[in-house]
Amino acid sequence: MKKIDLPERPGWRDRAQELGFTFADMGGEPYWEETSAYHFTLEEVENDIEDPCTALHEMVREAVVTALASDEWLQRMAVPEAHWDFVADSWKAAEPELYGRMDLAYDGTGAAKLLEYNADTPTSLYESASFQWLWLEEQQRLGVLSPGTDQFNAIHEALVARIAEIAEPGTDIHFAADKSNPEDYATVEALGWAAREAGMGAHFTDLAGIGLTKEGQFADDEDRVIGTLFKLYPWEDMLRDDFAQHLASSGTRFIEPAWKAVVSNKAILPLLWQMFPGHPNLLPAFFEADVAGAMRGEAPPSGIARAFEGAADMLRAGHVTKPIFSREGAGVVIHQSGREVERAPDDSYDHHARIVQALAPLPEFGGFYPVIGAWIVGETCVGMGIREDASRITHNLSRFKPHYIEG
Amino acid sequence: MTASAKKPIRKRSRHVALFLAGTAVMTLAACEEEKTDAAAFPDLESCVAEARNGSLFFTEQDCQTQFAAAQETHLETAPRYESKELCEQEHGAGSCETDPAAQNQSGGGSIFMPMLMGYMIGSMLGGGRGVMSQPMVRTAQGGFATPDGKQTFANNRGTGRVAGSTFTKAPSTVGKAPMTAAQVSQRGGFGASSTSRTGSRSYGG
Repeated sequence: MKKIDLPERPGWRDRAQELGFTFADMGGEPYWEETSAYHFTLEEVENDIEDPCTALHEMVREAVVTALASDEWLQRMAVPEAHWDFVADSWKAAEPELYGRMDLAYDGTGAAKLLEYNADTPTSLYESASFQWLWLEEQQRLGVLSPGTDQFNAIHEALVARIAEIAEPGTDIHFAADKSNPEDYATVEALGWAAREAGMGAHFTDLAGIGLTKEGQFADDEDRVIGTLFKLYPWEDMLRDDFAQHLASSGTRFIEPAWKAVVSNKAILPLLWQMFPGHPNLLPAFFEADVAGAMRGEAPPSGIARAFEGAADMLRAGHVTKPIFSREGAGVVIHQSGREVERAPDDSYDHHARIVQALAPLPEFGGFYPVIGAWIVGETCVGMGIREDASRITHNLSRFKPHYIEG
Repeated sequence: MTASAKKPIRKRSRHVALFLAGTAVMTLAACEEEKTDAAAFPDLESCVAEARNGSLFFTEQDCQTQFAAAQETHLETAPRYESKELCEQEHGAGSCETDPAAQNQSGGGSIFMPMLMGYMIGSMLGGGRGVMSQPMVRTAQGGFATPDGKQTFANNRGTGRVAGSTFTKAPSTVGKAPMTAAQVSQRGGFGASSTSRTGSRSYGG
């Protein structure tokens, strides 16, 4: 893994505009940034990202079984009790998952470490699946990259295949997002094209425009009943909204399925560590409430004493605390050697329970810290996108960097 | 581990979808409806004034005929509610009145409906229907809508192009049991983003 300076494609900004990629610059800063790119070997991609992430997803599925079978875990994950059956039933019915993005700390040498799994509403899909792909094709054509280079990016084709696999041909799928947010919208449109290619009908509806019919079904902003709904809106909010009481009775099929409520939840990180302690791709993780005393040198609670002892040195060297719900780095605090060294400015999720996770310092490349976003489609890792930030907490204004495989 | 599984030589898609067309294309390109010219007026006078300018597709006579028709359609198809509170919840405070049709029936008087707040006339060139109309009522958000609520407008004055189906008459509600709270279809029950104290900038991440 290296960071390589490369010439930008002439006129790429105009091309981005033309394609409708309107947020290539955000807040006056470049969001898509191609003055350099990350280079990987095929071995790094396959052995350190692709295989481990496919295996991690399988472990996550095992963790779902554990969480859904336990009132205590559902409570700790703050799944509203009224919807425990609804969430569990979606798993019992084997409702298939569509996509997710694992964020990893990886520097090209040791094992990639799972920071968190956004398995419900990951964005940056268009940049990863489409614009990054175009960058590679065009840089090859311009002779900037050799024809032998490749990219870990089978995302679009995998989405088409997965959608064809999980829905009957001709199914009408509604895609709901906040229409005023171009990033969210781009993500659902990218999925919408994949759905159409898979032989489905794809219809956009503004999330706030969704209504309830007299029969208790959900309807789109033009009163058409919603049979299948992809929502770029997190389950933890769905389950707390006014319409939550109608989720189960609506007859709507949801993508992602409701069981993702226990996956896209940072409480899955302590659960994974409990189930797979010492796994090379996991970081030690606990609920802050369980280890706050132990972190100060008191005796840890008996249930986690052994696990804590095994991880204590790592945690004391450096750890991160974060709320079980948050988006875009909100609420993340980094501690090293007993001192707080960095804190995310956005604290709007700080009233939720927090987890403690051992710090996997992000590598630094030319003043920036990259995070690997490994895309899972269905149950398989099929591609990646890299975001880097000048700060060690990756947040919404980080930059997207293209990558290529050579050697 | 899947190391033993045969991996594709090529790690990237052969093609991708590159074009983000925006919401217009995603909203059901499959059944693009024929649009028709329409003009909305808060009352008969403003329609007549516009017709005298002679710039639009209707005459003063159309204003008269269609206003009467809209009043009739309103009485026949406006949503009816079992309480004033429920009606105002859907149409805004001060926008509701008792159902005049129910006044004449025994046991009437406790049915509420939104007031007629304007009407829309359209030129139906296709199908030889000539000029048609729809009544307009207030919405809870402060806008205007046709009686079935399917078409909403920011205001009740102006011209534009609307889908032909806007002029399709809604089912009759006159003499039917008024809607209870449970029957009133609701909107906007998703999107409060309750897990964030500040509401969310983006739902994704």
